[in-house]
Amino acid sequence: MLAKAAVPYRSRRWSPKQRQQLLLAGLFLAPATILLLIFMASPFLEAILLSLKSWDGLRPAEWIGLTNYVNLLQDRIFWLALRNTAYFTIATVLFNTTVPLLIASLLNSKIRGSTAFRTLYFMPVVISGAISGLLWGMLFEPNFGVLNETLRSLGLGQFTQLWLADKNTVIPSIIIVSIWGALGFYIVIFFAGLQNIPQELYEAASLDGASAWQRFRYVSIPMIRPVITVAIVLNTIGGIQVFDQVWVMTSGGPNHASETLGTYLYGTAFGSRASSNPQLGYAASIAIVILLLSLCISIFQIRLGRKAEFEY
Amino acid sequence: MSVLSKNATPAAAVRRPPLEINYRLRHYLIRIVNYAILIWLAIVTGFPLFWMLITSVKERREVFGTFLPSTIDFSNYARVWTGLNLSHHLLNSLFVTGLTVTIMVITVTLAAYAFARLEFPGRDLIFYIFLAAIMIPGHAILIPMFTFLKRIDLLNTLPGLSFSFLGGSIPFAIILMRAFFKTLPSELGDAGRIDGCSELGVFRYIYLPLARPGVATILIFQFVGTWNEFLFSTTFISDPDLKTIQPAVYQAVGRYSTDYAALSAGLVLALIPIVAMYLLMQRQFIKGLTAGALQG
Repeated sequence: MLAKAAVPYRSRRWSPKQRQQLLLAGLFLAPATILLLIFMASPFLEAILLSLKSWDGLRPAEWIGLTNYVNLLQDRIFWLALRNTAYFTIATVLFNTTVPLLIASLLNSKIRGSTAFRTLYFMPVVISGAISGLLWGMLFEPNFGVLNETLRSLGLGQFTQLWLADKNTVIPSIIIVSIWGALGFYIVIFFAGLQNIPQELYEAASLDGASAWQRFRYVSIPMIRPVITVAIVLNTIGGIQVFDQVWVMTSGGPNHASETLGTYLYGTAFGSRASSNPQLGYAASIAIVILLLSLCISIFQIRLGRKAEFEY
Repeated sequence: MSVLSKNATPAAAVRRPPLEINYRLRHYLIRIVNYAILIWLAIVTGFPLFWMLITSVKERREVFGTFLPSTIDFSNYARVWTGLNLSHHLLNSLFVTGLTVTIMVITVTLAAYAFARLEFPGRDLIFYIFLAAIMIPGHAILIPMFTFLKRIDLLNTLPGLSFSFLGGSIPFAIILMRAFFKTLPSELGDAGRIDGCSELGVFRYIYLPLARPGVATILIFQFVGTWNEFLFSTTFISDPDLKTIQPAVYQAVGRYSTDYAALSAGLVLALIPIVAMYLLMQRQFIKGLTAGALQG
């Protein structure tokens, strides 16, 4: 990368200072560039090529063009995984942009103990997806898990669920776990965004007779729109790529009811299904779909966010 | 608002005190509702953690049915500590995280300085190429990384796992660190040069010492990310002895299945390092983990 950038300029005359800077830049950029070429660029290009091949990891790979992608389109489980991923992503995005915003503005209203609340809310953010999945897996246990126990002891026995073992409740349950893990993160970034709004704007709005709700709607929201956009983009990317909690709690089950793109990719390449018939090329094509989805949707969202900013 | 408008009739204007009381009452009511919401959320957030803590000190027969334990029993901790060989897995995690973070901090600080403070042709173009790399998700490079590590004999090794994290972490850290270097005034470097400092010296003795808060941010970000990583750790390490803490705890489920006291104790032990660090260095942690989002 460096050499390419430097070549067209070689004929130009360089002052000793410029030459020195160029040399220094090359020196400083070399380690990161080399590592990225080895551990990012080359595996990435290989993934694209692999998605065009059929490979079981043992025998030589066979070039099959777009066959993997065509097969994906006819794969019932792939569509199920895509639908589940969309469901998960939309639900978490909707929740994580509304509730944390309200909580953050409550915390911002000169309330006592604001720091203590934030400390607690943020705690699950440092806990890994795998560990929170295991923890909630115990709470969701149908026979003696604390959730059903509580429902029974409150006389609400008819509301007990199989949670992770029922195809209708498994995704909502996973969504709850993910929201628990991420809510504090969004509360903190919205809180920081609200703190950056100059106090004068609120004072001016109050003088003009704006109610608390109007101040929130017409001062806070437009002012932190960039933060909201970032939150939506991060949440969407995280949603499309969700894996840890799901794999730990259900491995995509029962009977693919909680299969997401991430678990389907992993299961196809390395899971128990793969032990008899590993389909690495097919799994690579799922990986490329994940990449394209997160890329296209986040670019679209950023564009939309920019456009909305101009309207104000 | 409604209170004000209701009392805006001439008759009400005479009765001023009630309005004030009304207004105050309303104010207090709002406060109470606000606190109720915040406390409710605190309970919902804290409950799973609280449940995990009390379950981990319960005697086995009390795990189900009773909520609060009658005695506090730490034997579960001893049981999983030796049963799962947790010290071993924690050390594996520490090694992988330490190696990743060290390599990352050195290469990122150098590259970010070049992007922020040096003048060279194609600088912005190269930076954008680095920037594009953050869009590539871990899933996309999972399989090629697996075959690549296998080819160079680093599959199933801790350094191999550590290297596999670099591609995903360097670009993002460079963006954060470059932004940090940009906040330092360029006059500092010029002053150093006038005093006869070499270009390398300007970096080493002027900017690097000032960059410490930035380094702390990317360090924490990377530390938490690597420590908590699951997908690569579970894929690239199959040797039970070399497992890092996350996959090791995941495997405990098979072993202790419904022994929730032991499982909870295991989770607590796996969480202690990171939660303790969070509580001790809260401000830096929150800054480190949200820096990317707030940069916009």
